Order: sequence, then C-alpha cells, then structure tokens
Amino acid sequence: MATASPSVFLLMVNGQVESAQFPEYDDLYCKYCFVYGQDWAPTAGLEEGISQITSKSQDVRQALVWNFPIDVTFKSTNPYGWPQIVLSVYGPDVFGNDVVRGYGAVHVPFSPGRHKRTIPMFVPESTSKLQKFTSWFMGRRPEYTDPKVVAQGEGREALQKAVFSVHGLTSPRPLALGHIKGT
Amino acid sequence: MNPREEKVKIITEEFIENDEDADMGRQKRNSKVRRQPRKKQPPTALPKEMVSEESHLGNQPEPVQEEPKTHLLSMTVRRGPRSLPPIPSTSRTGFAEFSMRGRMREKLQAARSKAESALLQEIPTPRPRRLRSPSKKELETEFGTEPGKEVESTQQEIDSRSYSRVKFRDSARKIKPKPQVPPGFPSPEEAYNFFTFSFDPEPEESEEKPKARHRAGTNQEEEEGEEEEPPARGRGKEMDEEELLNGDDAEDFLLGLDHMADDFVAVRPADYESIHDRLQMETEMFFIPSRQTVPTYKKLPENVQPRFLEDEGLYTGVRPEVARTNQNIMENRLLMQDPERRWFGDDGRILALPNPIKPFPSRRPVLTQEQSIKAELETLYKKAVKYVHSSQHMIRSGDHPGNFQLDIDISGLIFTHHPCFSREHVLAAKLAQLYDQYLARHQRNKAKFLTDKLQALRNAVQTGVDPEKPHSSLDTIQKTINEYKSEIRQTRKFRDAEQEKDRTLLKTIIKVWKEMKSLREFQRFTNTPLKLVLRKEKVDQKADEEAYEAEIQAEISELLEEHTEEYAQKMEEYRTSLHQWKAWRKAQRAKKKKRKQAAEDHPDNEIEEPHPEEDLVKPTPPEPTDRAVIEHEVRERAAQSRRRPWEPTLVPELSLAGSVTPSDQCPRAEVSRREDVKKRSVYLKVLFNNKEVSRTVSRPLGADFRVHFGQIFNLQIVNWPESLTLQVYETIGHSSPTLLAEVFLPIPETTVVTGRAPIEEVEFSSNQHVTLDHEGVGSGVPFSFEADGSNQLILMTSGKVSHSVAWAVGENGIPLIPPLSQQNIGFRSALKRADAISSIGTSGLTDMKKLAKWAAESKLDPNDPNNAPLMQLISVATSGESYVPDFFRLEQLQQEFNFVSDQELNRSKRFRLLHLRSQEVPEFRNYKQVPVYDREIMEKVFQDYEKRLRDRSVIETKEHIDTHRAIVAKYLQQVRESVINRFLIAKQYFLLADMIVEEEVPNISILGLSLFKLAEQKRPLRPRRKGRKKVTAQNLSDGDIKLLVNIVRAYDIPVRKLAMSKFQQPSKSSRMFSEKRAASPSTHSPTHNADYPLGQVLVRPFVEVSFQRTVCHTTTAEGPNPSWNEELELPFKAPNGDYSTASLQSVKDIVFINIFDEVLHDVLEDDRERGSGIHTRIERHWLGCVKIPFSTIYFQARIDGTFKIDIPPVLLGYNKERNMILERGFDSVRSLSEGSYITLFITIEPQLVPGESIREKFESQEDEKLLQATEKFQAECALKFPNRQCLTTVIDISGKTVFITRYLKPLNPPQELLNVYPNNLQATAELVARYVSLIPFLPDTVSFGGICDLWSTSDQFLDLLAGDEEEHAVLLCNYFLSLGKKAWLLMGNAIPEGPTAYVLTWEQGHYLIWNPCSGHFYGQFDTFCPLKNVGCLIGPDNIWFNIQRYDSPLRINFDVTKPKLWKSFFSRSLPYPGLSSVQPEELIYQRSDKAAAAELQDRIEKILKEKIMDWRPRHLTRWNRYCTSTLRHFLPLLEKSQGEDVEDDHRAELLKQLGDYRFSGFPLHMPYSEVKPLIDAVYSTGVHNINVPNVEFALAVYIHPYPKNVLSVWIYVASLIRNR
Repeated sequence: MATASPSVFLLMVNGQVESAQFPEYDDLYCKYCFVYGQDWAPTAGLEEGISQITSKSQDVRQALVWNFPIDVTFKSTNPYGWPQIVLSVYGPDVFGNDVVRGYGAVHVPFSPGRHKRTIPMFVPESTSKLQKFTSWFMGRRPEYTDPKVVAQGEGREALQKAVFSVHGLTSPRPLALGHIKGT
Repeated sequence: MNPREEKVKIITEEFIENDEDADMGRQKRNSKVRRQPRKKQPPTALPKEMVSEESHLGNQPEPVQEEPKTHLLSMTVRRGPRSLPPIPSTSRTGFAEFSMRGRMREKLQAARSKAESALLQEIPTPRPRRLRSPSKKELETEFGTEPGKEVESTQQEIDSRSYSRVKFRDSARKIKPKPQVPPGFPSPEEAYNFFTFSFDPEPEESEEKPKARHRAGTNQEEEEGEEEEPPARGRGKEMDEEELLNGDDAEDFLLGLDHMADDFVAVRPADYESIHDRLQMETEMFFIPSRQTVPTYKKLPENVQPRFLEDEGLYTGVRPEVARTNQNIMENRLLMQDPERRWFGDDGRILALPNPIKPFPSRRPVLTQEQSIKAELETLYKKAVKYVHSSQHMIRSGDHPGNFQLDIDISGLIFTHHPCFSREHVLAAKLAQLYDQYLARHQRNKAKFLTDKLQALRNAVQTGVDPEKPHSSLDTIQKTINEYKSEIRQTRKFRDAEQEKDRTLLKTIIKVWKEMKSLREFQRFTNTPLKLVLRKEKVDQKADEEAYEAEIQAEISELLEEHTEEYAQKMEEYRTSLHQWKAWRKAQRAKKKKRKQAAEDHPDNEIEEPHPEEDLVKPTPPEPTDRAVIEHEVRERAAQSRRRPWEPTLVPELSLAGSVTPSDQCPRAEVSRREDVKKRSVYLKVLFNNKEVSRTVSRPLGADFRVHFGQIFNLQIVNWPESLTLQVYETIGHSSPTLLAEVFLPIPETTVVTGRAPIEEVEFSSNQHVTLDHEGVGSGVPFSFEADGSNQLILMTSGKVSHSVAWAVGENGIPLIPPLSQQNIGFRSALKRADAISSIGTSGLTDMKKLAKWAAESKLDPNDPNNAPLMQLISVATSGESYVPDFFRLEQLQQEFNFVSDQELNRSKRFRLLHLRSQEVPEFRNYKQVPVYDREIMEKVFQDYEKRLRDRSVIETKEHIDTHRAIVAKYLQQVRESVINRFLIAKQYFLLADMIVEEEVPNISILGLSLFKLAEQKRPLRPRRKGRKKVTAQNLSDGDIKLLVNIVRAYDIPVRKLAMSKFQQPSKSSRMFSEKRAASPSTHSPTHNADYPLGQVLVRPFVEVSFQRTVCHTTTAEGPNPSWNEELELPFKAPNGDYSTASLQSVKDIVFINIFDEVLHDVLEDDRERGSGIHTRIERHWLGCVKIPFSTIYFQARIDGTFKIDIPPVLLGYNKERNMILERGFDSVRSLSEGSYITLFITIEPQLVPGESIREKFESQEDEKLLQATEKFQAECALKFPNRQCLTTVIDISGKTVFITRYLKPLNPPQELLNVYPNNLQATAELVARYVSLIPFLPDTVSFGGICDLWSTSDQFLDLLAGDEEEHAVLLCNYFLSLGKKAWLLMGNAIPEGPTAYVLTWEQGHYLIWNPCSGHFYGQFDTFCPLKNVGCLIGPDNIWFNIQRYDSPLRINFDVTKPKLWKSFFSRSLPYPGLSSVQPEELIYQRSDKAAAAELQDRIEKILKEKIMDWRPRHLTRWNRYCTSTLRHFLPLLEKSQGEDVEDDHRAELLKQLGDYRFSGFPLHMPYSEVKPLIDAVYSTGVHNINVPNVEFALAVYIHPYPKNVLSVWIYVASLIRNR
C-alpha cells in the first residue's frame, strides 16, 4: 500500500429518481443533493442535479416519472457522516409560481446491491391560517432556508412547533456499490 | 467478455503468479501440476479471474501486443500436442548453450511426426465448425479442432498461405532466441509446453472438454497436457515481455499485429453453462459443512474427557439459544477450518458468552401500521390513588383490599427514676434493679452450669488418660486431652468470674438495703414498701467442706500440672537456647583463638561457663515449693469468690410488704413531694411511621411511680411499618403535657401474632433537667445521700415501658400481615428469589448482617449475575457502611462490549482526532478527512494544539516582545475561552426563522400594497431595486464570498510639491521656484503636458486595496480630487475554511485601502535617444490609507461613506496645504476639517447574516426594580425609534448585567499628561484624548467570538490594554469629567464602525464630539464628523434618549435639560437612587519603563528590517545608516508635536543632510499592541516595492512610553535613490 496517499474507501452511488406519487399536483420537477459528513468528499459525478419537469401518467397509477439518473462517487475515511440524498420537489401553483411540494431525505444504502427506497415527502406549513392564505396568494410558501437541513440534526428543536404536511412519495433508487478498498 | 479478452487476462494473471516463483520452483511445480486431478482447475482459475482486474493494471499496455503473439505462438507451434506424452522434466545444466529456437525445433519435429500419425483418427470431429467465419478458425482450434489446424500449419511453412502468419511466425522466431537471461529462464520443456498447448479461454470449456474427450476415449496424457498449460503460458509471456524491450523486434511485431487483429476476432454465441455443470462446479468449490452432530471427542483434545463446569458447581450463565442444526454446522465448519479446536470449551461446546439479550425490550414498541396513533395514545381512566407515603413501601390498595392489623399492647410504665423520687425512692429503685439482676442471674445460674461443665471435663480427662483404652492411638488421645485441659482452664476461669459476680451482687444488694434502712431511720418515715429478707439456707457443713476441699485440690493439681507443663516447655526452650548459645560460644571462642592467645582464652571461658549452669539449675526446685504457693493462691481466690463452706447460703427476697408512712406523719417537704407526685399524670402516644395514630388515657402517677395502662391498640395499617414509636408525656396539674421521652418499639416478625407475643420491657430515658423545691431529688441535678454532700449522684429521668406488639389474627385465623412482596419492595430487585425471605424472615431483610449470613449459608453463587445486586448489597452492608446505591446501572454489559480498553482508545491518534473534532476544539473544528489509519496521522497535527495547552500557563514572550502584553494576550485568551464555553449552548439554539423561510404575518398595508402591485402594470424595462438574498453561513466554501470595494472618489489628495523634482539642486532655494517646471518627473509624459497646461504639478493618485494579502488597484486618476468610480473584487477566505458564523466573526483581517501617487521617472540615460524611445519607470508613492476591519464590514453588511484618509504627518514632497487654485469655492464647506477624504462603498457578496447576539438573560446584582425599569425604558424607546441605539444595561467582564451609569465616574488622568500644559485645558484635553487613543483597539467581536459586547471597567481596560469603542469612550469621558468638563458618553452610529460610543463635551458655547479611538474631535456642525446619528447620551447619573425628529448630530440639540428633546431615564417618578460606581476610586499609573521601551524599539526595528528584506527576495536591500540615524533623531520631535507642523523644518534638515538622494518616505504612527499590525502597516505602504537597482532604505523606529505601558510607536520608512 502506498503510504504517501492516505487510505480511503470509495462509495459509488448510481441509481435514479424513478417516480413520485403526488396525488394533488402535476408538472413537478425535483432537485437532489447530497449531505455527508466531514470525512467525505465527492470524487466523481454530480453532487446535485435538477430534473426535467414531468407530468402525471395518464393511467390509474398517476405516477410522476422522472427516471432521473444519479451517479456520484464519494471517497471517505470514516463511515460516520454516511451520505444522505436529499430530494426536494417543486412544481407550479395555481398562479404559476414555483413552490416547493416536498422535501425528503434518505441515507444512501449501506450495503451494495440494488435498493429501492420510498421517501415520504413533506413541506413545512404556514404557522397561521392568515399566513397560509397570504402565502398561497403570493405564491411564497414557507420553505427551508436550505433543503439540506432535512438531513441535518442541528436546528431540529426549532422545528418542534412547525407543522408539516405530507404531500407525496418519491422513489429514488440509489444503487450503491460499496467498494471498500484502500488505494 | 469475449473469449479473447478472457484469454489475455488469464495469461497476465498467470504471469504474475509465476513471476514470483523462482526458476527452480517452477520446474517442480510443473510436474506437480501435471499429477493433479483434472477437477481441481476451475476453482483455482475462477477466483483469479475476478482479481485479475486489479492485478493486471500494471500490464495494461501490453495486452494488445501480447494477444496476437500468443495466438501466433500457439498456432504456429501447435503440432499434435494431444498425442505427445509429456517429457519428464530433467534438469538441464547446459541449457544456456542451446538456442531456444533450436530446441523448439527439435520438439516441434518430434511433435509433428507424432501428431501426423494421430491426425487421421481425430480429424472428423471439428469439421462442421470450420464452416464458420474464417476469423474464428484460430480460436476454434482450441476446442479440439487442432488436428485440422495442424494440417494447415504444416503447410504453412511451405507455401506461407497468408502473409500475416508468416510475418507473425517470423517475429515469433526472432523473438525466441532473445530471452537467454539465465535467472528467469524457462526450461526447454516449459517452453515447449507453452507453445504446444492450447489455451482455455473459459474454464467452463475446459470443463466441458475433458468430458468430451473422455467420451472420445482419448488418453490420459492429453489431460495432463492440459494441466500444464497455465504455468507454461505464463512463462512464455514473461519471455515475450523481455522480448518487447528490444526495440526493432517489437516494431516488427507490431506491424504484424495490425493485420492480424481482424483474423483473431471471434464471434461466437453466448456461452451457456448448464445448471448441472454449475452445481458440480459449486460442489467442488464450496465447502458445505454437514449437519450431523459432531461427536464430542472430535471437539476435544485427545484423551480428554468433557468437563461440565456447571455440574461442578461453577456458574456458567445461560447460553444464547441457537438451533441445534446451526450449531452443528458451525462446529463442523470450525473443525474443518481451525484444527486447533480453539473455539471449543472444556465441555466440547462452542465457547459462548452468556446470553446478553434482555427479556424485555427497553425501547418503546414501534407503532405498527394497523395501529393508529390514537389507539396508542388512548387515555385510560385510573382512579386517583391517594399518595400515602413518599417511600416505596406503600402497599397498593388494589391488590389487598383488606387491611392489616398490628396490635400494640401497652400494659404499663415504670419509672426507674423520676424527678419526684425521694432519696429513698432512688435507693429503692436501685435495690429493685439489683434484685432484678439477681433474679435474672439466679434463673440462668451460670455458675452452676459452668461448675457442672468443669466436672464433666475433668471426668473426660480422667477417662481419656486411662491407659486401658488401647483402641485409639496415643497421639489422638494426647491431643484430645490437651484440648480438654485447655477447656478446663477456660471454664474454670469463667466459673470463677461468674461466682465472683454473684457474690458481689449479693453483697451490693445487702449494702443497698442497709443504706436504705439507715435512711429510713434517719428521716423517720418510709416512702416505699420495699423490704428485703435474707433467707439463710442451712447446708450440710461437712459435705460442703469436703466438696470445697476437693474442689480446691483438683484445682491445685490442675494448676500444678499446668505449671509442670509450662516448666517442661520452658526447659525445652532453655535447652535449645543453651545449645544455641554454646554453638555461638564455640564460634566465638574459635574466633578469639585466632586473635588471642589460648591462655587468654581460658579464664574467659571459665567466667562465662557458670552462667548457663545457674539457669539450668533454677527451674528444678519450684516443684515442691510451688505447691504451697499455688494452694495458697487457690484458697485465697476461693475465699474471695466462693461461698465458704461454713457460711450459709444467702437467698435475698424482696417484698413489698413494708408499710409506707402516711402523709400526716411526714415532714412538710415530704408531704409536698407526695402532693406533687399526685398532681402528675402520664400518657403515651403511639406513633406509627412517625404519625400519631392513638394515645393512651392519661393516668396519674402512683406513689410507687408505676403507671398501669393495660390498653391494646389495634392499628389498621395500609403501609408496611417502618417505625413504631411511643412517646411518653407527662402532665403536671393543668399545664400542657411535656414530652418526657420517646420509646422505639421493634416491629414484630411475621411469626409473632397476637396471643403469642411476650410482654417486653423497653427502657427509655429523658435528658431533661428538673429541680424541685421539695424532697424530690429532681432529674439531671446532682444530689447526695451523705450529709456532707459528697459522693454526688446525677440521675436522669428514666423508665421502662412494658408492652407487646404483634400482628393480629384475622377471623379465619390468618395473620393480618402485609404480604412479602409489599414488605420488601425496596429490596425486591435484590431478592427476587423468595427463598431468601422465607429462610430469614422478613425482618431479616432490614438486617443486613442476617442477610449476609444467609447468603453465606445458602452458598449463593457469587458469579451468577442474577445474584449480583444481592451480592453487592451484602458486600456494601457488611463493609460497615449501610450504603445502598440509589442508582441503577444502565449498561451492565458494557464491559463485554468494550472491544478495546480505554487506555488503548486514548492512545489511538485517530480516535483522539475524532474526539477533538467533535468537541469543536478550534484547531480541529473543520478537520476534513480524518485518516483511516493511525500511521497516516502525522504527529504534527497535534503539535499546535498541544503547544497551546502547554502554553496556557507559560507566557511566551517571543511573539509579543513585551511581557506585559503577552500576559494580557493570555488573559484575554482565557476570558475568551470561558465566555465561549458559557455561550456555546445558547449559540446552538435555533429559531424557527433560522430554519424556515416564511412570509411575515402581513398587515393591511403590505397586503394592500401587494394587491396594488398585482394590479400594477408590468414594466419589464424599468429597473427595480431588489433586496439581496442573505446567505446563512452554513454551506459556503472558499471562493464563494467576495469583498466588493467600490471606490468612488477622493477629495484633497496631497499634491506634489514642485521641489520634489528638484532634488538635483540640493539647496533650500530650490523651493522658491515653485512655478518652475524644469525637470518635473512627468515632463516626458505627454498627457501631463496636455492636461496641465498651466504646468501645475499635481498628483496621479490610484487606490490599492489589499485584503488577506490579495491586492487590487484602480486605474490612475489625476488631480487632487480624483474620481475613480471603480469596483474592486477581492476574494475572501475564512480561516481554516470554516464559514460558520462564529469563525467569521473572529476574522481579524483588515482591509487596507491605500492611496498612492504614481510617479513616472525618466530612465533614459542618453539624451540623444530621446527622440526614438521613451523609457520611464513608474514609481509609486504612498500617500495615505484607510483601514477597515473585516469584522466591521461583516456586521454592517455594507459600508458607505466618506472617510478621512490617514495621511502621515510628514509626507515629503507633498503638499498638504490647500491648493492655490480653489475649485469654485467648494472648499469653504470643508474648511472646518483638514485632511483628505475618500468615498467608499464596501460590501460582501453574497450578503452574510451576521451572528445574532445572545438571547439570554444575564444574572445581575442590580435591583430588581431598576432592571424592570430599564426593560420598560428600552421597550418604550424601541417603540418610538427602533433604529436608535438605547443602552441602559451592559454586561461586565464577568458576565453580569450592570447598569450603565455605574461606569461613569471622574477618574484621574496620568499626572504626567496634566503637567505638560498646566494652564491650557484644551491642550490637556487633547493630550488626554491622544493618550486614550494610543491604547490599542480590539473589537469585542474578535476577542469574544462575536458573542456579546463586554464592558470592562477603566482599570481593567488599562490593565488589558485592549478594548473597543466603549472602553475608550468610557475612559475618555471619565478623564474629561475629572478635568472638570461636562462630558457625556454618546451612543450612536458612526462610519465605519457602526454602532459605537463617542464622547460629547460641552465647551464654552459649543459642543465637541470626540472620537475616543482616534483622539480626534469634531465640532457639532462638522460635516466630516464620522458620527452619523445619535441614540442616547449617558452621564454619570442619568441616561437620555434622543426623542428628537432627527438624529444627525448636525441637526439635533444636545441640551439634555429639555424633556421634549431628551427622554431621561431617571425622572421625578423614578429618582436617581445614587448608584455606586463600578470604577475604582482612582487609577494608579506606573511610569513606563524607558529602558524596556528602548529595547522594544530596537527589536521592532530589527524585525521590520528583516521583513523588508524578506519581501524583496530578488533584490538587494541596502540600508542607509546615515539616513536612518537622521530619521531616528527626528521621530521624537514628531511625537512631541503630535505630528504637526514639523514638515518644513524636517524637510529642510533632511535635504541638507541627504542632498544627493532622492528621498521618499514617511513616518507611520500607531498604538502598540503587537508586532504583526506594525508589519502589516509597513507592508501596506509598499515601500519595499521599489525595484530601482541602486535604491537604499532607511527605517527608524521610535517608541514613546506613556504611563501604564501605553506605547506610541513611530516608524519612519524611506527609500532613497542616489541622484546621478
């Protein structure tokens, strides 16, 4: 083993954000990004991405299919801070403003192989009825300062009072290829 | 993967493998491999394939080349290998002589001939396949088509059917002879094998092949041949590689490759592998352990019987449950894998820890899908349970509705002493007590018992000694006799003691009775009916005497025996000692002989000799004499302790038959005593668990001081009794009862039920002191029986309660006892096994000793974890302290799960790093990618951290130069740490707004506005201002943040003096020619000529912004009032890449905005060339700078305004005076303030959210009312003018809230300063302001991590020598107050500082605003005053908030007496309470050490010189000493004049002295804090940037010490260029 370069292990993730179930909404697109610990660094691939807009399928399932590929490789020295994929789904409201329809996060699977995950998506709700109305009216729904907070621990206590509503489910399908081998 | 690739891979991997083997080894291996059965191949080949991806990386370039070559080789050479029997390997010593080719030929020849013969039989099989594409041919040969191939290849040589093949063969031939290198040389046989065997592209095929071949009935050799190929191939490959090294061969080889590539591509159908084959392969590859039970003997070492620890009584624990089959499989596997049987225990089972699984989950059950949350959260109604007792001993009413009953029978009370006792009573009580004792003793009659025992023992000895009993051995008899004897001795002693006691008791009784009788006679009345009768019992005197004598005799004989024994023992001892002594003596003598004469020795010997003789004789005589002595002794003792035979046995009998003298016959004192007794009555309270449950009736105290109650209390109880107490109360007459004593009753055992309980007596006593005025002796007071008062006695009230406590029996005969489970809830966990309780009874549970005893008796397994709590309990209890742990262990099994010891864990560098990082230690806060292995962590990672830890106590003077400042730095660091620790938690507190962006609650106006906006016409072309989005510093990285500096314009830049260019004429007169433009530096610049037709020498200023060592500059503008309007972008890098708020706040970097003058110099040396070229050199002269700390920008978000340029007091060659050409009278506006100004706009892109101050309340020592008032005041102010600063309370350095006016108090400035201008108040004020400004400025945000604004008092400030605006302002204000000025602290906003503190003073008729940090002062109407708005004024006794419409100092009235303009804190409704100041009484200044300052001065000079040399790495730096010394002389003058009005003289002097030089330089003035700012300041001037070859430098430093170690630093930097 070369002593000059530090040993790392690689985590290769590829997969796709397959589809979503948002019974109430249509024409949605999603963004993904990764949240990982200090010992992690992306080495290849895209850390974040934004998908195309998709419309509901016309069949009974009414699925919103993106099939949006994810392909990223991380290197790390420590399993602590295992990457999480954070998804946020946006779509137009009645007035055509893009508003957030859901946030969700899931850990990249720990074992190699195919995995299918279904993430419940949620959005913060307005704190009062009046605000709800104005936010609806103005097209400025409450949203996270940063979507990454859904995968982070800090500041959770501040959200205790917040109300969330679950709007739908997305199925990203990260396929992890753990490759624990020193280089 | 197509077969070709596969093949390559196999080759390479083989190569790698073989490479490792030595040549010799290979030889051996080949033969070995050959003998291996065919089957083994797939398993070995397959895994290699998988790995090959990795391993062949290094060989990657080759495959393309190798591939055809191997094909070629195999093809050209392959001649009937099938039929060829492998030639046994023989070692060839002379192989080097053979050429490889030659040998190959030989083999080929032989092979060919054989193959040809075999060809005919095998030819039919391959036919159909050959019909496929020609490119396939080659490969197909491998699968058994060789024969056909062979035909071709035989022809090949003759007609060379295809060019390429020939080519290939040729190349192969050329290659072959090459590898003759001996060490890696293959044997000819290997080489042969390599060329003759076909390759298996896939293992499956090779699998298939043998089968097919078996069918065909091919012979054994073929298979063996197959086996050989992998190593052989590898060999060939290696050969090839070596080959390739040769250039021309390789080229040839490559040529062939191009053509061949196509030929070798095989297109084939997908490979199919039948399931059958696969299964077969798997069975070969995998080991499937059987499920059969493994016989025990296999699991144990030979000849070892299984040992079952559990049967031996050791605790083994419960093994985790594993299915039998799984266990079998595991055992089989282990046996196979690890023949040492390490995994098996003595009992032949796999070693296992006890089952760690808890029976109950400690986690809340997870909601299943079906159950709704509601079901889980359903409320149950539970009746409120009355909380009876706090302890856990409560009995649940639910399980046992029936109550339990405790019967307490209180029969009576007897006082053994009472204050009302007369003396007689005291004696009577004593007598009664003694009699009781006597009775008790009599009953036990211990003496009798012991006597009997003694007798029995004696008999035993007698019989034991009897020699007639032969059966037992002599030894044992002797032993038992000895034992008996010792027991006899013991018993005798006891008996004697007992008898003596009996006798003394009897004597005492008689004595007391006699005393009592005499007392009765003396006082002539009797109080007690006590009467003692001594009954004499007649005894048979003779028999008695005999018995007595016999006893004595026996005793004597025993004693004698003892003595003889003792004597014998002593004799023995004596003999041994004598022997020893003799030996010693001998040795001694021998020694002496050597030393002395033998004659001398002799007398010595004779003297010594008799001594031991005497000793020897002495023990013999005692025997006869002793007897008498012993007899005497025994008799005496007997007389003392025993009743003498002639004496009658006395039996005392106490009766109450006596008559008490009636009251009328008694003296007065006695009568009153009796009356007093009659008045008294006694009752008892029964307390159960410290609560009164009932009380007895009050009974009068009888004359005999006995009270009879005879009451039974049935206590219906719910709780397990903890305590049962009786309280004795005494009532005298009608007064309130007094508590005499408390009696604690034991709680009965469960076996004690009513009817069976004996009456017990419990003694009590009280410590009360009672003195009575009658006969009563009182209590706790001394009294005496003697007339003279001697022999005093002190008696306390005491008595006995006779009672019985028992559990009641219910109707059906069941005792009403609380059940066990309830009784011992406290110990329930400990005593899960109920047998403990059943064996020792409930009361034993509270008795630890008993419990321990039980535990020892029942032989609990102390290792059983089930018993652990019990054992712990016992160990704790028996160790003396009755400490029962009130905690329970959360993770009892932690030990088992610790995979490494703590020490080891701490030693691990990686763990340490991770730990430090998680603790957010500054050095490691953002440490990325902690390495995986310890060895990859460099030791130096910790160095800084460890150094810091070490240095915490040690003061490092090297960095700070000045010890005092080093101490201060340390102290600040410590304060900072403590403050940070304090607020760490508060900081991590997030608000909802931090996490979620949400629209604010809209009010009507916003709503209306937005509605209006909706209706508004869209105008896309109209630009609109958009608010910038704020970015929280969470996910930023390097390069994301930029600092934008927009330089707009500058005013009044100093202009060049004409004299500048006249250095060539080093005379004073040169300055006269101000209009002359002879050799102006810009002469040759055509623009200058064009721009300044008047010949006015102006400046060409440009601005350079440097930040974090990044430098940007604007273009050059012209004239003293330039306008650049340029935006400069500087990248910002946070320390350690940490963009958290805390880290950003502590950025200490400063933005330097330097203004330079660009000067062009003609460097053309030859005038004749002037026409053809321009050679100018650009020089830049520093004019001044503006410094803005990054923290200010960060907190202000943007800085926009006009700043005064900090211009050195002396700027040689530049004119600070106003230009002669006035620019349309604009100057008149600014006439009030001098200096140059620059307009700037600075911001950060993207906008960062500054950390918010702590939302926390601080403790305070202020009055609560005052604090409430401050809150109210602040709320009111904020309501009216939310933007104006209003301060009422501040936080002091210890983190306490302090009312702000406490900081203001007149404080004396240093006397030195006052002495300078004794008469000029204004000048003194300026001097004081200057002194204050010389104290270094250090923002709190930097020193305290931006957490809060801490105010230190003035003495702290002067000690620390660092502080921000508040501290400066407070100190200055205090000085002004002491100077007798009217001064206020002014809180407001200024540029660039933002919220800040200034000082306002009232001079005659006008107000002055002082900037405490710079020492400058401004008039109220000064437009260039940096103070932009005023929030409040603070005086020593009040706070005034600005409630005027405007807040600009220009537009407000500072008259605080007008309540309409200023809202005061203390008013009529809340008068000033006279708050004491937090400031010291007076400030004590120590004079600064001049010598230290001088030393510091030298060191700084040295450092700076070194730095300048460092900054000019490519140039020579010369120092002009002469100039330096001149400058050094000049600097003190500057200090004296505070940098004013010296320029002209200075210039003159300089010019005079340095006539030959062109000089540019300036003095810098700073307060001293550290060296780094000085270096930065020098660097920012860019003096070192001059690259003229013959430049010289001069640098002088002067430090002027002010009191209290305040240092004013002057640095004069100059560059000199010698004029030619």
